[in-house]
Amino acid sequence: MSVAELKDRHVAATETVNALRERLKQKRLSLLDTDVAGYAISKSRTSVSFGPTDLVCCRTLQGHTGKVYSLDWTPEKNRIVSASQDGRLIVWNALTSQKTHAIKLPCAWVMTCAFSPSGQSVACGGLDSVCSIFNLNSPMDKDGNLPMSKMLSGHKGYVSSCQYVPDEETRLITSSGDHTCVLWDITTGLRISLFGGEFQSGHTADVLSVSINGSNSRMFVSGSCDATACLWDTRVASRAVRTFHGHEGDVNTVKFFPDGNRFGTGSDDGTCRLFDIRTGHQLQVYHQQNNDNDVPHVTSIAFSISGRLLFAGYSNGDCYVWDTLLATVVLNLGSLQNSHEARISCLGLSADGSALCTGSWDANLKIWAFGGHRTVI
Amino acid sequence: MPPFETSDADYGAEFSFAVEYSGPPVTYDLPCAVPIKVERIPVAAAVAQVSLSDKLSLPVVQPLLAPDPRGKKFSKELKTLGSDSSTLVSPTSVIAFDRNNGRDCKELELVSEATVSPTSVIAFEEGNTSNRCYFRSDELSSSRALEFSNGQYASGELCDVANSSREFGFSSISHEHSPELLGGAGISSTIEFSDSFDKSLTSSLASRVSCSQKESLDTNNDLSQADWVSNESVSSFDYPSSQVSSMKVVDGNNESKCELIRTPVVTFRDFESVDAFDEEYTQDASEKRMPQVKGKKGSCYRCFMGNRFSEKEVCIVCDAKYCSNCVLRAMGSMPEGRKCVTCIGFPIDESKRGNLGKCSRMLKRLLNDLEVRQIMRTEKLCDANQLPPEYICVNAQPLSHEELIILQTCANPPEKLKPGKYWYDKVSGLWGKEGQKPSKIISPHLNVGGPIKPDASNGNTQVFINGREITKVELRMLQLSGVQCAGNPHFWLHDDGSYQEEGQKNTRGYLWGKAGTKLVCALLSLPVPSKFSNSCGEQGSNIVNRTVPDYLQQRILQKLLLVGYNGSGTSTIFKQAKILYNEVPFSAEERENIKLKIQSNVYGYLGILLEGREIFEEEELIDLKKKHCSRIIDPSGNTGNNDDKTIYSVGPRLKVFSDWLLKTMVSGNLETIFPAATREYAPLVEELWNDPAIQATYNRRSELEMLPTVASYFLERAITVLRTDYEPSNLDILNAEGVTSLNGLACVDFSFPQSAPDADIDAADQHDSLLRYQLIRVHARGLGENCKWLEMFEDVGMVIFCVALSDYDQFSVDGNGSITNKMVQSRQLFEFIVNHSTFDQMDFLLILNKFDLFEEKIERVPLTQCDWFHDFHPVLGRHHSNSNSNSINNSPSLGHLASHYIAVKFKRLYSSLTGRKLYVSLVKGLEPDTVDAALKYAREILKWDEERANFSLSEYSIYSTEVSSSQ
Repeated sequence: MSVAELKDRHVAATETVNALRERLKQKRLSLLDTDVAGYAISKSRTSVSFGPTDLVCCRTLQGHTGKVYSLDWTPEKNRIVSASQDGRLIVWNALTSQKTHAIKLPCAWVMTCAFSPSGQSVACGGLDSVCSIFNLNSPMDKDGNLPMSKMLSGHKGYVSSCQYVPDEETRLITSSGDHTCVLWDITTGLRISLFGGEFQSGHTADVLSVSINGSNSRMFVSGSCDATACLWDTRVASRAVRTFHGHEGDVNTVKFFPDGNRFGTGSDDGTCRLFDIRTGHQLQVYHQQNNDNDVPHVTSIAFSISGRLLFAGYSNGDCYVWDTLLATVVLNLGSLQNSHEARISCLGLSADGSALCTGSWDANLKIWAFGGHRTVI
Repeated sequence: MPPFETSDADYGAEFSFAVEYSGPPVTYDLPCAVPIKVERIPVAAAVAQVSLSDKLSLPVVQPLLAPDPRGKKFSKELKTLGSDSSTLVSPTSVIAFDRNNGRDCKELELVSEATVSPTSVIAFEEGNTSNRCYFRSDELSSSRALEFSNGQYASGELCDVANSSREFGFSSISHEHSPELLGGAGISSTIEFSDSFDKSLTSSLASRVSCSQKESLDTNNDLSQADWVSNESVSSFDYPSSQVSSMKVVDGNNESKCELIRTPVVTFRDFESVDAFDEEYTQDASEKRMPQVKGKKGSCYRCFMGNRFSEKEVCIVCDAKYCSNCVLRAMGSMPEGRKCVTCIGFPIDESKRGNLGKCSRMLKRLLNDLEVRQIMRTEKLCDANQLPPEYICVNAQPLSHEELIILQTCANPPEKLKPGKYWYDKVSGLWGKEGQKPSKIISPHLNVGGPIKPDASNGNTQVFINGREITKVELRMLQLSGVQCAGNPHFWLHDDGSYQEEGQKNTRGYLWGKAGTKLVCALLSLPVPSKFSNSCGEQGSNIVNRTVPDYLQQRILQKLLLVGYNGSGTSTIFKQAKILYNEVPFSAEERENIKLKIQSNVYGYLGILLEGREIFEEEELIDLKKKHCSRIIDPSGNTGNNDDKTIYSVGPRLKVFSDWLLKTMVSGNLETIFPAATREYAPLVEELWNDPAIQATYNRRSELEMLPTVASYFLERAITVLRTDYEPSNLDILNAEGVTSLNGLACVDFSFPQSAPDADIDAADQHDSLLRYQLIRVHARGLGENCKWLEMFEDVGMVIFCVALSDYDQFSVDGNGSITNKMVQSRQLFEFIVNHSTFDQMDFLLILNKFDLFEEKIERVPLTQCDWFHDFHPVLGRHHSNSNSNSINNSPSLGHLASHYIAVKFKRLYSSLTGRKLYVSLVKGLEPDTVDAALKYAREILKWDEERANFSLSEYSIYSTEVSSSQ
């Protein structure tokens, strides 16, 4: 078979795939009679109402000198790890707003960080294509820096996101600019499985974010620059369980819904979306109508414990609190006093859901908590 | 959510609000502090439009009367401004004070204070007003307040009351947006509050009277002070950003204190109740920041509890003292150590420099070990807490940043440097306080401060050392150590201790040579050179290798971003820089990795060769067969095995090896099985390489597209390279592929070595040696349309874009699957990077790399091969015949012409995109000199960039027109 022949067949196959994909899209549209908001309204549910004092900034964590790119809470204690362009990871005590560790990184261009389930170690990754693990209990070296305890190298592009598998201290999933996600064994430093890539079906562009299902840690989703999100089963590395189309821009962030059956995405097209992993349907679009053409990108999202609220950070410094049921904005943290002065790049909810931490390009992190006497929702 | 319950009880949070008063100057009699009747309360005039959203309603809170046992009345009005009309503002308990220090008849109304009982639960709604305008108004108010209090100082009487009161209103408004308040309950409603007290001043403003007085406070006063504190802690929250000098922070309220100082009649209690600010305020604008003492002497500055015996933490800037309950609130996350939130960014109080990094017991109790350690670390090391260079005068000249760095990083620095005036004898390294004998011998020949003065140490002995009249003690020492000092000689003392008389050549002796001298020096408490004082030669190398503290590093690090299309030689330049400027370019581990990489590369090249061999063999066989068939038709259909032999055939053993190698390569795990393989197969490789079949294939290597050009470099050395004891040479490393691109990003820190002998001629050169550069090489892969991480490089000083000249006839498949010229792809990447918003206004240096290959190639392949260069018509016609003779130097070679042409192409492209000048440098990646020259060129551009700011605008415009015309 000659090369030209192969090429022709490849072109034909690509066309077929695209045609099928289009048909699938049409079919889905025809089946989609309502979305969550429409249904909720028809059931005359009312939106959550938020007083301005219900969510207030109660701590400002100052200490970074560069843009904050990522943060993560410990599952147990109230500690936060944050990664910034000043080349440092800082571990904060969220209660006292003090630093407990400041880790100088060998590569300053860090994009992501994560706390291990036990809170004993942190992981980070960035442009050096390596996921570095630091054990917080290890002794400092002579310069007062924390030595790296493990290097997970193997990615051929930057490490855009990493997350520990819940309750497994030695398992970690990273996503990378080389279009793949990898499940690592930290003790050996080797890859357990590779999701996507050249010969496998998966993402066709840089993967920007992963989120592991909290109720079934074998499943995780990834969001990518190819405007799709993929659902993966860690036991089946060869292909994605399902690919979710819908976004019109890079999917910057994905996050599992607390019940584990849905997940949310945030994208450069300025929308957040909610997908169902069982049906593959898009359930809802969260989109704030904007007059001007410059649509702010969604940089990061998080769900409240009940899932009723969706926190979304935008590139223009806004941080909307969406009512997931009615798809309305109940609050904009960016317009509150004391809000960040620059883009909100990352946000995360504490394990018990009592506080939200936002990190921004103004080099600060802020902790927001419910100031009123409302029960946590 | 227990941890974040913002209960007031926790911190005793107090809130105060005030509203801007910017109405017309008050026309009625100002604060009639007669016992207040509710009906007579002056109604606040128009609320300023600027700072409040239009939806505000202004509920008026009735003032409460607080009778004063001493017959003084405090009259205050509180006006709360509900921020949102939709929601009700209900401060459930508001305490107001009447203050009337009615000694003098002058009274003024200050619209500045509001108090809320800390225990009351208040539900305020937030206004949607932006913080911005508050900041502005705050700045305004503070600066105006400054003027105002100046005036006060002079007159001692406050006359422009209305004016001042307005300002106070301003400042208090700005307080409302405080993290503290929000932390507590998210309040933004404002309460206007007017305070009346008389104003009369004394000149003894500066004294901090509060310290000398002991008085108990009644609770009412406590509350009012607490309120002030919260006001204050908020007010300067935004100061760090607004870089006002610390003097401006003086809030207008400090005159209230002053007034009290003057009138001895005023009881302590009054004093404390009114005293809001303890700004040490002197008219020469001393730069000291002082806290606002409101409580009684010795109490916490925030909650006013406790006495001076209770344990407190002190702010290293303003000396405010906080009790253990308040310290975390007042100091926040302590990004610069123990400073009030409001003091962050300000230089520390120099008298507290000694305490930096020394932790108090209280912090240790409040926080865990790790946290305390972090605080102390940042306190010592953060930039804002470093010694300000202008505080150090050396030879009557304040130091610059660079000079201070030189002084502190020299081999033998003056220890525990405190602000002050020093003299420094550059020749001998003697160092002392101005007007005093030498205290230390530091590294000599440092380029700091001015020339030494004869009277630097205030000596009167008429004996001079290095142009400084020495003190009596020194003279005594000289005499005791046997130096002839008769006749008031002038000595030259060198750093090695040798001395000579001025104007004479011969050395008279070595001062430190004798053991006795040191003893004498010890007796007279004069310094002796430390053991570490080395000759300056060693010192030079020290500068490069010394580890510099972080804060210095950030200040002096210049980042260069190196980008280029695949195969443009960025990695070669990167490796070259490493080899050029690093004493140990590659660590042992790195070398080991490089070795493995090179070896596996060679296996890869061999694999490609073997693959080629199979193809060639097949082709040959087909040819043979054809010939065969044409000659004899075999009836059985079996061709004789003997005929299968071609020059590309190999023996069975090698066949097995080559099959195995090809199989591993196809399965893609050559690298994983590789290290073990070397040992096993090294002899086989030798055999293989020497095999005529391989050699024959190698000779046809130009037909193997997969084989990179560098492969021949390594293949010819294959046998040595594949030995287990192989040590890669620098040239091998430079040639090796994939050594740096294992990671997406590589960076190397370096500094340009001083050109050794004439280094100390130019003062600027010495500063350069401190400058460190970081070359960051990023991989072109992933620099796609929506590259998200390029914005991380917004802090680089310059982008170095690398283009391989020899690419002009190369083609590759781009993202869309179409075949494009590599030079055009380079251009597309260049355009993308130049247009990227991150690199707006950044300088670009274009490196035209692989000039050596290009020169060679241009003779064979016309440049017009690339569409972009279609109009390249070199005027070589008449010179061309001459160029064969090689003797004419003034006619540029075709290679040079072509490279200049390409440079101009890129320059035009760049200036059409940005309107600025593109710097271009011609480089041969494998030759260290050209890379060195290019990087030094980059340094010059960066330097020029810094200096350009010093030029006046007109000069710069002349420069820029020159540039554009020269293009």
